[in-house]
Amino acid sequence: MRALDAGILVCGECHQLNRQGEGGSPQQCSRCGSRLHPRRPDSIVRTWALLLTATILYIPANVLPIMTVNYLGKGSPSTILGGVLDLMQAGMVPVALVVFVASILVPTFKLIGLSMLLYSIQRHQRLSARQRIVMYRFIEWIGRWSMLDIFVIAILVAVVSFGNLANVSANAGAAAFASVVVITMIAAVTFDPRLIWDNTDMENEHA
Amino acid sequence: MPDSLESRPLSALPLEELLACHECDLLMRRPSLGEEQKACCPRCGYELVVHRAHMVRRSLALVITALLLYVPANFLPIMRLTLLGQTTHDTVWSGVVGLYETGMRTVAALVLLCSMVIPLLKLLCQLVVLLCIRHGVARRTGILFYRVYHRLREWGMLEVYLMGILVAIVKLIDMAELHVGVGLACFIGLLLAQVWLEVTMSSHQVWDALEGDADACA
Repeated sequence: MRALDAGILVCGECHQLNRQGEGGSPQQCSRCGSRLHPRRPDSIVRTWALLLTATILYIPANVLPIMTVNYLGKGSPSTILGGVLDLMQAGMVPVALVVFVASILVPTFKLIGLSMLLYSIQRHQRLSARQRIVMYRFIEWIGRWSMLDIFVIAILVAVVSFGNLANVSANAGAAAFASVVVITMIAAVTFDPRLIWDNTDMENEHA
Repeated sequence: MPDSLESRPLSALPLEELLACHECDLLMRRPSLGEEQKACCPRCGYELVVHRAHMVRRSLALVITALLLYVPANFLPIMRLTLLGQTTHDTVWSGVVGLYETGMRTVAALVLLCSMVIPLLKLLCQLVVLLCIRHGVARRTGILFYRVYHRLREWGMLEVYLMGILVAIVKLIDMAELHVGVGLACFIGLLLAQVWLEVTMSSHQVWDALEGDADACA
């Protein structure tokens, strides 16, 4: 049985149970005072909007250089993929893999994964709810790891500062990439995982 | 479980005897837990409640440890790089300044937030909440700060930053002479204290404690 069916609202912040009041007036949690919603408001629309924005920014994030390394007079701008390839050529395969997963695989997987979750909810697809919740949790947990490349740039900019001899500067791709990471993280928060289960309950009743 | 207990519908039970999964909205009876036991949702597997022994005392110790490590972790050099006789060093703070100076102001602000400001705010919120519980004062403030903490929670990215340090070390090691500094040890200490704190400070216990105080003094 869903808490909603029993007329109980779960507080989104402190997880306190509250009885649903009469009428449609907005309620506040009896324990922490935050606004109560049966489900996160406009979850599907907001998540789609954020995903679309992130998808658009995903293109400059991957095409534009994220940083330029000037070393002994030679300047070489590198994109995200270029940075991974450089690490591979230098024989640093494990580190190259970590960067590949964090900067390329994870953002792509998040965009596709969240779209699949939204699509499956809207189309009432018979995907296993358990698989989908595992996927959602994974997306929510791993999202922050994409900030890795941004932090690496921050460290390199600070430490490689030998004037004209060697220096690192950040480029526009880094800003686009950081936006993709932040926007997909917000998208994971606006998505309400309970919608996945609402869907399956309805299917069970119709079956 | 005996049938007599099951005869009443869940929706008729008082709220104190019920528990709803935050992730899938399944309604169930509130289990009674002993120390160091946890309950997971039978449908989606989400960890519902966990009961930690000596939660407040252990968390306070960890919060204070983390706060003491915060300044050296962020302002002492993480690594030193020597190239043709010149030496530079890197701290978390100098990374932010460096990005700002290359013109990437928004990215610099984001790094400042995720690696310095939010981790500090999280620790301060946790400290206030724990002090409120321990001394039984200012429950409203405690509730407010704990709500802020939950909002900030996933935006503190110390562990990602540590991975960033490791990747940067690997990238630089062939280019110039590199030494790791004492800041790195402090940073790892801060990270460990913070992760341990998040495991120890069981949120349902904190909410119950904040609520209990509010009732007692209302």
